[in-house]
Amino acid sequence: MNADYWLRALTAELHQRRVAPDAARHVVAEAATHLREGGGDPWVVFGPPQQYAGAIVESIGTAPPPRPGPVRLHADGITKRYGRRTVLRDASLTVRAGQIAAVVGANGCGKSTFLRICAGLMSPDAGEVTVSGRLGYCPQSGGTADFLLADEHFVLIGAGQGVARGPARRAGRVAARQLGWEAGGDTQARHLSGGTRQKLNLTMSTLSEPDVLLLDEPYQGFDQGTYVNFWDQLGRLRDAGTAIVVVTHLLNQLDRVDIVLDLTPTQPSGWVAPGVRGGRP
Amino acid sequence: MNRLVTVAEMTVRELLRRRGVLLLLLLMPLTFYLIRRDAYLGQSVRSLLLGVGWAVSTAALFATSAARELEPRLRLAGYRPHHLYLGRMLGLWTVGLVISVPFFLLPMLDGADLRYGGLVAAMLCSVAVAAPFGMLIGTLLPRELEGTLLLLTVVTVQMLIDPAGSGAKLTPFWSSREIATWTVDHTDAGYLSRGVLHGLVVTALLVLAVATVAGVRLRRRRHLRHLPVG
Repeated sequence: MNADYWLRALTAELHQRRVAPDAARHVVAEAATHLREGGGDPWVVFGPPQQYAGAIVESIGTAPPPRPGPVRLHADGITKRYGRRTVLRDASLTVRAGQIAAVVGANGCGKSTFLRICAGLMSPDAGEVTVSGRLGYCPQSGGTADFLLADEHFVLIGAGQGVARGPARRAGRVAARQLGWEAGGDTQARHLSGGTRQKLNLTMSTLSEPDVLLLDEPYQGFDQGTYVNFWDQLGRLRDAGTAIVVVTHLLNQLDRVDIVLDLTPTQPSGWVAPGVRGGRP
Repeated sequence: MNRLVTVAEMTVRELLRRRGVLLLLLLMPLTFYLIRRDAYLGQSVRSLLLGVGWAVSTAALFATSAARELEPRLRLAGYRPHHLYLGRMLGLWTVGLVISVPFFLLPMLDGADLRYGGLVAAMLCSVAVAAPFGMLIGTLLPRELEGTLLLLTVVTVQMLIDPAGSGAKLTPFWSSREIATWTVDHTDAGYLSRGVLHGLVVTALLVLAVATVAGVRLRRRRHLRHLPVG
């Protein structure tokens, strides 16, 4: 892992931890100077970027978080049964503009079902969902057309919003670049690697500039760098006022989110992770 | 209108990139034509029309199955159900018309004594019925294998059923067969008018069925309430 990669990862970490932009730039510049002049492996000199960012936060603190905006998604009393099996029982979640909510839980506990119900792709047996503004949804897999190019996907999504072809293509390529992917090639979706296909999937969901973004484990197949870029992009979207719900089983990322909804049946649904903001209205 | 055209265009692009499938689809009507060529030209032309219907239906089935996961997110991206199913149908009709051209020319080059206007009408009926028919099966049956088997059954029934029997009129491609009789055997105009009427009615019913099923599948769910951004 080279120094540039380590510095990018550190930048993303500081951004995620809400270190003030000026302070973050200063810390990264100092680290870069130290590495350039002193040499050495940044992992040996500073340790992992997450750990170093944590030490920085302890030392200089963080910028005050922006106040969450108005409620964008309110799911109330969602219950879903498949035959006799109840997968969701009275699950509720409220997410405001500028918040990230994580939906966690064991396999088969209904995380994807909950998200599909929030997206209106599936009906619950009880409960209702209120969404303010435009909705974007990224499925766990699928959701792309095998024989179309990335640009054609962007045109297809853009046309739904009445966006002309040129601007839709450009917007798609810019969004893809933020995930470290140059999307303008002539490769059909079926020939993309699993991770790149998920980048296409994720790019499509953000292309319509949704007010509420629902992501169902969108990082399947991402490499480490893309995974960092992914959380970095979520941070940018949050700062821009998007309400984000992400299904995840990677519990080490929960410190990056504002609300945690645990759907594991043994626990009461809708708890808020200790030390994080947000929760029920 | 732009949404409709975009979906139609992407459907055509997708189908044209399935080169292997397209070749096999083109092979089928040709085989149907050649296999009966020595015995009786009329049967050969009827088989050709059935082959075109089968090819377009199968393409429609594949296109519909492939779009199953994409359509819900296109709905969220601002499309309405009619943009999606009508756009796809437009694309399939376009591809169907394009692949019909060589099969229209085939009997002509073969020197067959036909009413070629009738052959055009029969081809149009075959393509018009086949696209919504394949889409309906693709919408109702989620797996391509099941859909293909059902299509095979329908085509086999169509091929073997007595065309003069009352049950034959319930088969989707009866129109092209009836018009083919007028085309090949130079029968009275009743065959042509019955065939055209059947083709129009069946196409309209199938489009309506596709619209209904797509409308239900892609409907706005009652539990979800949309508010404008406040």
